Amino acid sequence: MNGLDAMSINSFKAYHCMSTLLEKHIVELLQERNEKAISLLYEHYGDTLYGVAKKVVRNEELAQDVLQESFVKIWKKSDSYDASKAKLFTWLFRITRNTAIDKLRSVNTKSDKEIQMDVSDVYNLGVDSIKPELMDVRENLERIEDKYQIVLEALFFYGMTQQEASEELDIPLGTIKSRLKIGLRELKKIYGSSMVLAFLLNLI
Amino acid sequence: MMKDKIKIFLDSDLLEKYLLGTTNTQESLQVERYIAIYPEVLETYNELQDNLETFAKIHATKAPDGLKNKILARIKSENAGRRQFFRYAIAASFIAIMFASASYFFWNQNQNLQQENIIVNNKIESLKADMREQLEDVRNQFIVLNNPQTKRYNIKGNNNAKELKAIAYINPVKKLSYINVKNLPNLPEDQSFQMWAEVNGEMINLGIIDKAVGTEKLLALPYADKAVSYITIEPKGGNNTPTVENIVAKIDY
Repeated sequence: MNGLDAMSINSFKAYHCMSTLLEKHIVELLQERNEKAISLLYEHYGDTLYGVAKKVVRNEELAQDVLQESFVKIWKKSDSYDASKAKLFTWLFRITRNTAIDKLRSVNTKSDKEIQMDVSDVYNLGVDSIKPELMDVRENLERIEDKYQIVLEALFFYGMTQQEASEELDIPLGTIKSRLKIGLRELKKIYGSSMVLAFLLNLI
Repeated sequence: MMKDKIKIFLDSDLLEKYLLGTTNTQESLQVERYIAIYPEVLETYNELQDNLETFAKIHATKAPDGLKNKILARIKSENAGRRQFFRYAIAASFIAIMFASASYFFWNQNQNLQQENIIVNNKIESLKADMREQLEDVRNQFIVLNNPQTKRYNIKGNNNAKELKAIAYINPVKKLSYINVKNLPNLPEDQSFQMWAEVNGEMINLGIIDKAVGTEKLLALPYADKAVSYITIEPKGGNNTPTVENIVAKIDY
């Protein structure tokens, strides 16, 4: 292991530690029902959750509604969060994703047409308005080939089971499984380097 | 065997479904059990969580500028509504408690007043009865004393009670008789005078003669032709039958 790698790993650990500290702080504020928690949550997870909402509903206005409703739910349910069962982000993600899916269903029952029109964007990755510190990740993401990307999206955003993804994407189940595994491995590589980068950027 | 179990579990989509929050209650319990028991499952779960966060962060999109303020304003109004609700709830419960305690207080008071009412009514009834009795008594005394046919007998005690003086009033027409005990000799603490009447061969207890009653009191005697009254010395508190050797006075009428 060379020196740079060791440093990267250490700074990665430091970054990880910082983010868990922040997580703890936010959770404490939430449990005290301090409104500052929402402000902090928005600052640190707002764009990510907005991205999740947009991915699911594929419409900016709807995504804004979803984000608003999600934050209200987060606020109302804040005492039901159990840190021993899920990371803070996982909990936030579940609420946002479920809200987005509910929104999509209610809109779909109102009018099927509008949504149909947006379907063409499903796998379009908008290059606009990306957090600068994640630019590097974006570049790396492009290195994750589409075929892995699609499987990951199906799993994380659309909540498909591997079986469902196999049917939906017309790919054999075994292939789905192996692509998922490779995709996740690639993701981990990016995660490591990008977080070190983000940490270093934060230091500057 | 255990390895197989873990492998089967990890190959199923349960953990992924749990990650996204799409498992039902039973499935969630199963997943949580596996996470708690098998470190391998926990590790996979944590990895999945990290991957989810990374993947989502990669797709982060800058949210429109005004959105944060909109959300914060909504949370504020949510809180205000909640606070207001609590304020109303507190006020409402306070009023309810006041109402309940007031109701209880009045009910209790009503209950007490009803009881008192019954007691007072009973007292009035017994007073009425007493008054009627006493009025009757006074009327009879008046008749006896005022009637020319009334005979007056002076009674003196025998050797056992020389100081005993009494006056009996007997009216054979109205069939009324009274005795007025003027003077009683002092008796030891454990003895008292008792009055008796023999009417138609039957001995009737007329009660203890109380010195404290005073000399003005007329004691009614049951009337009968050829009745006899006795005064005896009996143990304190009275006796069921007269003690013949302790007779201190005898009144024939």
